Amino acid sequence: MIQYVLRRLLVAIPMLLGAMSIVFFAMRILPGDPCVAMMGAEATTAALADCTKNLGLHRPLLVQYVDYLWRSVQFDFGHSLRQGYPVSQYIGRMFPHTLVLVLASAVVAALVGVPIGIVSALKRRSPLIDYPLRIFALLGLSMPVFWLGILLLIVFSLRLDLFPLIGGGDLDGVINMLRTGEVFLYPRDFLAAVGDVLYHLTLPAVALGFTLAATVSRLSRSAMLEVISQDYIRTARAKGQGERAVVYKHALRNMMVPLLTIIGLFVAIALTGTVLTETVFTRPGLGKMLVDAIGARDYPLAQGAITVFTMIIIMVNLVVDMLYAVVDPRITYR
Amino acid sequence: MAIVRDAAAPELALPGLGEKTADRSLSRYLRRYGPIGIGVLLALAMVVIAAGAPLLAPLSPSAQFSDAVLKAPGTFDRHALGTDEFGRDLLSRIIWGARVSLHVGLASVIFGFGVGVPLGILAGVQGRRVETCIMRCADMLMAFPTLLLALIIVTALGGTLMNEIVAIGIALTPNFIRLARGLALTIREQDYILAARAIGSGQLRVMARHVFPNALYGLVVVATLYIATAIRTEASLSFLGLGIPPPTPSWGNILSEGRQYIKCCPWITTFSGLAIMLAVLAFNLVGDALRDLLDPRLRGE
Repeated sequence: MIQYVLRRLLVAIPMLLGAMSIVFFAMRILPGDPCVAMMGAEATTAALADCTKNLGLHRPLLVQYVDYLWRSVQFDFGHSLRQGYPVSQYIGRMFPHTLVLVLASAVVAALVGVPIGIVSALKRRSPLIDYPLRIFALLGLSMPVFWLGILLLIVFSLRLDLFPLIGGGDLDGVINMLRTGEVFLYPRDFLAAVGDVLYHLTLPAVALGFTLAATVSRLSRSAMLEVISQDYIRTARAKGQGERAVVYKHALRNMMVPLLTIIGLFVAIALTGTVLTETVFTRPGLGKMLVDAIGARDYPLAQGAITVFTMIIIMVNLVVDMLYAVVDPRITYR
Repeated sequence: MAIVRDAAAPELALPGLGEKTADRSLSRYLRRYGPIGIGVLLALAMVVIAAGAPLLAPLSPSAQFSDAVLKAPGTFDRHALGTDEFGRDLLSRIIWGARVSLHVGLASVIFGFGVGVPLGILAGVQGRRVETCIMRCADMLMAFPTLLLALIIVTALGGTLMNEIVAIGIALTPNFIRLARGLALTIREQDYILAARAIGSGQLRVMARHVFPNALYGLVVVATLYIATAIRTEASLSFLGLGIPPPTPSWGNILSEGRQYIKCCPWITTFSGLAIMLAVLAFNLVGDALRDLLDPRLRGE
């Protein structure tokens, strides 16, 4: 087991390094001088030289590269060109918003996707059930999340006026109250703040969750099909167990193992989805921050955001690999 | 188990091969060929629309009708799908937008295929250090989701049609490398490869004349699915304002521009988004159906 963990770690580290190198060099070939972007075209040569020196851009590329890697490991991504605050501070502020969105949409995706996948697998020979469900999955897979988001906004925010058009709610307030212990002093205010966050979260989570549900339902359908044809299911049926027990006790539990491996894939898709979802719903978060940073040519901010995205994806995959080994001990022998 | 085998058995038969005894009811026929039929029809329609845009579009996509700014859709009007904030005809813009989507969709998949498949086959056939080297590079690119990688590259290069193709192409390449390697690994164990080597075929000949043709069918099937991904990625990039710059209509930037007007004029975003969805759906349907026909065991994966 320890050997397996070490081997996975050894694979993950060069991958992380490589991915970060790609980010670094992509940001270096960007057109335009960051100093000009920061100070405007009217800046004096002396000021520009000073700025270049401050940002360390006068050093050899290799030195800058090593410096970037070393600082990134310490979560130091430099300062935003526009506002001047440390990038890590922005990331720290935006991360909870994105995390909440990913979690909420994962809940939606699981609640919608897994039952659909299971039913569609169990009833695959009845066209009236399997077919509409597969069409639903295909539609979800083909529907761009930003379009679904806009449709939801048109119907639920503009026409019915049930949900807000923009914003992410006072998540910072909620976190602050949790941190300072004000939760216990003013539980009513806390609940109101949580309610506000959920109120802002509903539409984005439904939009992202629905598009993810399509993937989840397909994967759980094939996982269920795989499991249902195993010998132990036949044994369970042969010993006279009811269909309900077979499905819930034998099939469903074993189905979770293959489903676990897709969490990594799921997080990757969900994080990409947040970039689009947060933009559509004008919601604060890492994805929106990235898009805004690119638009404003704020390179350190964009670089930091992309680095964090990649780190999260690689880390999640690593954790999933480990979980998989815990759930299914046979894996470590491979 | 018996139930499963019974259900799978007829599906294993390829169309038209020894299936005379099976019931050929209409529903069965529709079940198998319905999706691919709809998919092919939609995809063909898209090709026709994209190719014939100059003939099919009722008006110029850039002509501004100042008398009809943000006009609602009406069936018998001059502007069947309404107009945008500059009074440009939405139907014509969507028809012209099909060109961009299809162009980027096909070209970037060809790019990814052209770069990824040779590398993947090389990795699979050669093995050892070459394989490790290629696959680690592919893994590195795989760490980025397709959209994120395309976004990084397109930001670095700038948003033009060509750069968008290259960016999405590169983002798709690792997928093709993995797929081609996987196929090559099974093919290289076949007897005919041994036979080819026995008569003195070199490594390159084995790869080009034996491994590639045998992997081709599987590769093309999956390539169809990646066209859908590429179209969606292109639309996403344009939506984020990183794709082809605005005067040229693309579905993503029409939708993005229409976002400001969802309150008064939801038709702009509704129709452009519908176009994106139908295009992605078309290639998803065709790819799915082809894969099912190729290998019933993969059904629904």
